[in-house]
Amino acid sequence: MQEKFLQIINDIRRKRGMKPIESLNRDLNLRDDIGFDSFDLAELTVRIEDETGIDIFENGIINTVGEILDALKG
Amino acid sequence: MEHLFFVDRERGIRKTYEDLLSELSLKRSIGHVINSDKSYEVFIDLVLSLINGVEVELVDSDLSHNEIEALGIKSIDQRYTFGDAHWTAQNSFADLLDLIDIGKSSWRLTLYTSGTTGRPKKVTHTFDSLTRSVKIGVNHKDDIWVFAYNPTHFAGLQVFFQAFLNMNPIVFVFDTPRSKVFDIMQEEKVTHISATPTFYRNTLVTFEKPVNTIRRATSGGEKFDPYIETIMRKAFPNARLNNIYASTEAGSLFAAEGDVFKISDGIADKVRINQDGELLVHKSLLGQSVDILLDEDWYHTGDIVELTDQKQFRFVSRKSEMINVGGYKVNPYEVEEAILNIEGIEDAIVNSRTNRVTGSILVASVVRNSEADHIDEEFVTKELSKILQQWKIPRLIKFVDKVELTRTGKKARN
Repeated sequence: MQEKFLQIINDIRRKRGMKPIESLNRDLNLRDDIGFDSFDLAELTVRIEDETGIDIFENGIINTVGEILDALKG
Repeated sequence: MEHLFFVDRERGIRKTYEDLLSELSLKRSIGHVINSDKSYEVFIDLVLSLINGVEVELVDSDLSHNEIEALGIKSIDQRYTFGDAHWTAQNSFADLLDLIDIGKSSWRLTLYTSGTTGRPKKVTHTFDSLTRSVKIGVNHKDDIWVFAYNPTHFAGLQVFFQAFLNMNPIVFVFDTPRSKVFDIMQEEKVTHISATPTFYRNTLVTFEKPVNTIRRATSGGEKFDPYIETIMRKAFPNARLNNIYASTEAGSLFAAEGDVFKISDGIADKVRINQDGELLVHKSLLGQSVDILLDEDWYHTGDIVELTDQKQFRFVSRKSEMINVGGYKVNPYEVEEAILNIEGIEDAIVNSRTNRVTGSILVASVVRNSEADHIDEEFVTKELSKILQQWKIPRLIKFVDKVELTRTGKKARN
């Protein structure tokens, strides 16, 4: 799943003209480190939902990669 | 004592009302059209037009260059000149309010709002229709406002007049990076905030502590839900929360605590709900416009509501096909047209997909012709980015063999 998740992030970055990131680290902040704005985060959540059926923002606060991985573990 | 007027830390601007008065005294002319992305300049021009009682148009800073051209504003290069004004730097804020009191009867402000036909609707407001919900008084003299809307939008103007007419400080955070908003709010000791649910969803999650100075927090422009209420209560534990129904056509009409709107006695006979559940507003509550279609003096808002009792209602859905993407209303037909203009694409339909970050995003199903294998999601996104604002670009693009039609032959929209 982590690989798929990295690919989704990089697909969004590529469309926005940003370089791919090589690996994911739990502490990466989605806005400050990955460079996502609200529209990117919205895309990320629906793409993850399509892959896994999980709405990562269901319980509210998501700022980091680690929080998404935790949400996916359930 | 100095009275703070406008703070924009991102741009290093910190102005007092005394600064405003002296800057006004230097101005000898103003354009018929206010078209600036500098918020402070927009506010100065608004006040200048008011004290001189002239008619001005305010161009929405979200419009693209092509959209502005398509508006066909004739007076875009014309200016009003005031000669040696009656206004000098020695005048006080009370003098300014006196001049506004005289100027306001002839002052008109024209705004443009996104319309379903693709061409923005032109709506002209009077001072009264624009400030109907503004409250002035000693209770408000110590308010400090967070400014979180686009200043060229109707909601932004409401906050501006609420703060300005009470001589309150405006702390501008509209385009400030979200991670800086908490410190600004804390340090400026803000007491009032009005913003969209999207702003709250995306900003309040960065707060590690509550902002205890906020006494009132308002949500407007999109559907309010229990999740927004929860995060607002957590971020602003000492605030009363409310939720505003307003539109560019009608101004600010109803307020709610929670999601049930009250119809006040003053406007009860000017609001009704038809058999389809659609909220209708009497023309006397609207700004002047030739673009607003009336049905025997009633304006159809496109909002489907349900009455919870005689004087209260709750939103159910939008009748119109406009899609609200993070507070921006998008006409799916405009986006479809842009996609169809890409060579090699035969058909397209744009729908919305809900999510908890921006409410909705756009998704598109696209049919490409047999020679257009080079067209993929990235290609379409890049082509659209050249002509559309970022919130109008579908974030999920599927390639399909044909676009689904309904029984009436219309494209099937979700």
